[in-house]
Amino acid sequence: MSLLTTNRLTKRFGGLVAVNDVNLQIEENETLGIIGPNGSGKTTLFNLLTGFFSPTAGRVILQGKDVTRLSPEERVGMGMVRTFQLVSVFGSLRVWENLVPCVTWRNNEYRSLWKFMTSLVGDTWADSFEALRLVGLENYADAVTANLSYGDKRLLEIALALSLKPKLLLLDEPFSGLSDVEIAKVLSLLQSIKGKVTIGIIEHKISTIVDFVDRLCVMNEGRIICEGKPHEVLKDSLVNECYWGKQETVSGFPV
Amino acid sequence: MGNTFTKQGVAFETFASIGKGLVRTTGRQRVVELFVLGGVFLLLVPFLGTHRVTDFAIFCIFALSFDLLYGYMGRLSFGHLLYVGVGAYATALSLQYLTSNPLLAIGLGIVAACLAGMLAGSAAVRATGACFALINLAFNRVGWFLVMSPLKDITGGENGLSVRNLRFSYFDFQNPTFRFGFVLASLLVAFLLLRVLTSSPYGILLRSIKEDERRVRFLGYNTYFYKWLTFVIAASVAGFAGALTALNYAYVNPNTLDVHANGGVIFACLIGGAGRLYGAVLGGIIYMVITNLLPVYFQRWELLLGISLLLIVFRFRGGIWGNLETLYRRLAVHENTDRSLEGGRPR
Ligand SMILES: Nc1ncnc2c1ncn2[C@@H]1O[C@H](COP(=O)(O)OP(=O)(O)O)[C@@H](O)[C@H]1O
Ligand SMILES: [Mg+2]
Repeated sequence: MSLLTTNRLTKRFGGLVAVNDVNLQIEENETLGIIGPNGSGKTTLFNLLTGFFSPTAGRVILQGKDVTRLSPEERVGMGMVRTFQLVSVFGSLRVWENLVPCVTWRNNEYRSLWKFMTSLVGDTWADSFEALRLVGLENYADAVTANLSYGDKRLLEIALALSLKPKLLLLDEPFSGLSDVEIAKVLSLLQSIKGKVTIGIIEHKISTIVDFVDRLCVMNEGRIICEGKPHEVLKDSLVNECYWGKQETVSGFPV
Repeated sequence: MGNTFTKQGVAFETFASIGKGLVRTTGRQRVVELFVLGGVFLLLVPFLGTHRVTDFAIFCIFALSFDLLYGYMGRLSFGHLLYVGVGAYATALSLQYLTSNPLLAIGLGIVAACLAGMLAGSAAVRATGACFALINLAFNRVGWFLVMSPLKDITGGENGLSVRNLRFSYFDFQNPTFRFGFVLASLLVAFLLLRVLTSSPYGILLRSIKEDERRVRFLGYNTYFYKWLTFVIAASVAGFAGALTALNYAYVNPNTLDVHANGGVIFACLIGGAGRLYGAVLGGIIYMVITNLLPVYFQRWELLLGISLLLIVFRFRGGIWGNLETLYRRLAVHENTDRSLEGGRPR
């Protein structure tokens, strides 16, 4: 049985069908890449999966359970964790403080309200620090988050997600806005968890993830137009036409 | 900018280390904090008189409760005085009809404010921004209306209600010195409570909600519950301040929940520094000094309130305490170069 299945998932914004009749399956512990041109509905698909929007039609099934009507936090409770396309961390907090809600959540310490409200934040320091070390941010633990570079904020957001110990990790363009060095850093981090966690990863540069993912889905105009092994997908004529055939001539197009 | 400080030598280093101690609180330092806070209020007594300082301390409790809601969780309410009123009336009415023990009456006042907060909160926390502020304003108006008309027979309407049974064994609320001591102790208790709450993981969660509530939901937290809980705690502490007001004046009237007076506490939090407990206390004192003492010397004293508010909003967003903290931090960085990059164990 798949970890996540969607059943004819559809989302309309007025006249625009952003996600159109999508049947997606993600198997346990696989790494799935989702590519497609801007505006093809990738982010919207993730928003539907994670409960950010409720779908116009269709269902989301996680581990055999229909979660279409569940709130985002309930889905997180079932192991579905995401990051955002626009990096989203808490700029006014210190870097390590960002991780406090995550580690208390993962350790179930928030369930005892008394302990959650009366223990010292400092007690979670060790766990937070550990989570930061995983992404190589331990030197900035005490810095104010807003002062971090864009790439480091991305790493921090991934640290937030990983510290929740997800079963299914959904990453929305984790490489956008990063330098090549930073991309390599994030990729090697992801490589280290690949196979242990189910990963769904959105990216619009195929070249970045083609060697990383097990399976690739191509979206266009709200539909999945092709899926399969990454190198086979790249050879698919429909993909070439729809996705980047037109843009092939643009110099420096990222392939 | 920070370079100028290094040249000043030892005096500034001491200044910096005291500041750092205040900014970064550990369990042990809480005791010191309470002593300092109590000391400040005791020091004010010779200048302002017991009665005024008692008033100030009660207002500071109220300001602290408001700071939890506004400063920490980022939800601005235009109706927080409702809970002061509920606490005050419930205390006065308990002493009239239920009990002759002022301590029990205070407890009942807090419970009443807590219940009111639970009810109003469950509706209010669903809203954000201006909506949240106005929903609270509406509830406050409803409370005022209830006191003025439907419940007039027991609340005394416009005439208010005198509080009876101020004396119970050693607790003599007719004695100004006792009142001062009791209120000061109450302030310290309230401060300690909020200090514990805000330096726990829950405190971090509140600050996260302030910045981006939606994001917190994607970390697995049901933010409505925590917002509601915070609202109820803030209401209860405000109710505590209300109960003390009733006992302090031995009289309650509808002015305790006057909708228009809500601006005062917002101002107090802003001037002191929203989101910092010391800021709330400092702001509370400053606001009370401005409104109580300035009118004696200036006729147009409100002008000063207006100007300082403008200054805060445009130039010093952190309020007085926030800007002191920034100053301290700069000094601290100099004292211990690049501490921020070392990741030393904080708090
Ligand atoms: N909240 C929204 N309201 C209205 N339209 C939206 C919203 N979010 C996305 N869209 C539209 O849906 C389409 C798909 O967007 P998106 O999923 O962000 O694409 P992608 O992530 O693949 O670049 C776009 O045309 C976009 O304008
Ligand atoms: Mg997108």
